[in-house]
Amino acid sequence: MPSNNEPTLVFDRVTVAYGSVLALQDVHGEVRAGEAVALVGPNGAGKSTLIKAILGLVPVARGAITVLGGSPAASRSKVAYVPQADTLDEDFPISAAGVVLMGRYRSVGWLRRPGRTDKAIAADALDQVGLADRAKDRFGTLSGGQRQRVLLARAIAQQPKLLLLDEPFNGVDAVSQDALLAAVAKLKADGAAVVVSTHDLALAHVSCEEVCLLNKHQFGFGPPDATLTPELLQAAYGGQALELHGDHVIVSRP
Amino acid sequence: MSAYLIDPFSLPFMARALLELCILGVLGGVVSAFVLLRKLAFAADTLTHTVFPGVVIGFVAAGEGGIFVGALIAGVLTAVALTVLTAARRVSSDAALAVLLTAMFSVGVVVVSRQTEYTSDLTTFLFGHVLTVSGSQLVQTAVLAAIVVLTLVVIGKELVLRAFDGVGARAAGYPVAALDLVLNVLVALVVVAAVQAVGTVLVIALLIVPAATGRLLVDRLGLVVGIGCVVGVLGGYAGLVISFGASVYGGVRLSSGATVVLALVAAYVLALAYAGVRRVVVAR
Repeated sequence: MPSNNEPTLVFDRVTVAYGSVLALQDVHGEVRAGEAVALVGPNGAGKSTLIKAILGLVPVARGAITVLGGSPAASRSKVAYVPQADTLDEDFPISAAGVVLMGRYRSVGWLRRPGRTDKAIAADALDQVGLADRAKDRFGTLSGGQRQRVLLARAIAQQPKLLLLDEPFNGVDAVSQDALLAAVAKLKADGAAVVVSTHDLALAHVSCEEVCLLNKHQFGFGPPDATLTPELLQAAYGGQALELHGDHVIVSRP
Repeated sequence: MSAYLIDPFSLPFMARALLELCILGVLGGVVSAFVLLRKLAFAADTLTHTVFPGVVIGFVAAGEGGIFVGALIAGVLTAVALTVLTAARRVSSDAALAVLLTAMFSVGVVVVSRQTEYTSDLTTFLFGHVLTVSGSQLVQTAVLAAIVVLTLVVIGKELVLRAFDGVGARAAGYPVAALDLVLNVLVALVVVAAVQAVGTVLVIALLIVPAATGRLLVDRLGLVVGIGCVVGVLGGYAGLVISFGASVYGGVRLSSGATVVLALVAAYVLALAYAGVRRVVVAR
């Protein structure tokens, strides 16, 4: 276990390559327990690649990622990953409660079935995202935002120390967005660190302590006030950013 | 009524055929659910065709007794090849599977065409001979079925997680490639278990139709498996009764294996019609 002043996640000059193609260079920074970092950058900037590297699913070519004091692969049991809901099969015959219960499988272990405690933890997680009344509904019948909340509940049921969210707010309605933000805030209050990739600069600004501004390499890593500046955003987004009188910048969504 | 529905099974060969098809029906009900979840229908089809040369070569090399071993070797080799091909993604897996399927099937036909009783042998390999299933074949089928169902009970929850969210399963640290290999081998074992009774071509129906029928009717995986088993067993029973009745009372010779498949397909079509009607009624 890392001590209280040891960061949950450390990027040490991380470079990730697919074959000879550099996907991401020189990411450098750290995230502490109870804090959230927003990965901000245009499409194809390497946000998803960085999340996969934290999970140990793509190898780090140079530098190192340290998760909870160990290697990414060694720390997976304490890391929860929330995929984008629309990447999953809407026809799959499984209930919302069934999806959340999957978050317990790792701690239940092979051969055994989830017990009463696991089901209680899963029910509580579904309640935290405000969907206790939809437990028996088939996952595919829920709205996009509700499916995203179910996937977050699955991650909560894992009781993680580090939570990774891949574009959780894409195409999500306001009610679901508020529910997602509230649930993530509670996880942070309970001591989890959070990594969230997003296109939404305003959300990054209000909900995250740190911002990692990316486009193939790192343009900034630090508090939102220091990273979401007109200069850095224009550097990262290039032609996709437009400066409005002085302090404000808008960036085009994909 | 009982003359048509029950009496035929007082004949020992009919009783053995029914028992064989009941085992395969339950097996198909369980395994087809995973084929459905993982969208392995085409992979399963490939397996049924690649097991064929194993069956033929086993038969040529060692007679009836060689069929099982030949099928087993071909099935497991294909399962490994399927896993590697689909994991590497260097080639479009559709094209790779189609090449594998047609190449292996041709090998089987070439070998069998060197036999003197070529056409009758071919028919037997493709469509099986459920009415002449022996006691030892029944035991083989039962043992394979037990292995497959037990394995699915043991790692079922991991396989469902992998089918639902492959990246999530990898992120949680599950050995996804190994899980895929195990499922492919299990599907291969079903083909091997069923090959002598229903043949290499007709087994595809057992691997797809039961769960596809269940899925049309219900939304819960447990129920899909349950309905799949019922459909599998009833399809076997109905196919036997119909083909027996047609030949004894109607003087029409029907292939029992093919009749079983048609009974399964009929169940699917009925479920499809029911689902369609229900949609219309709900929409009102």
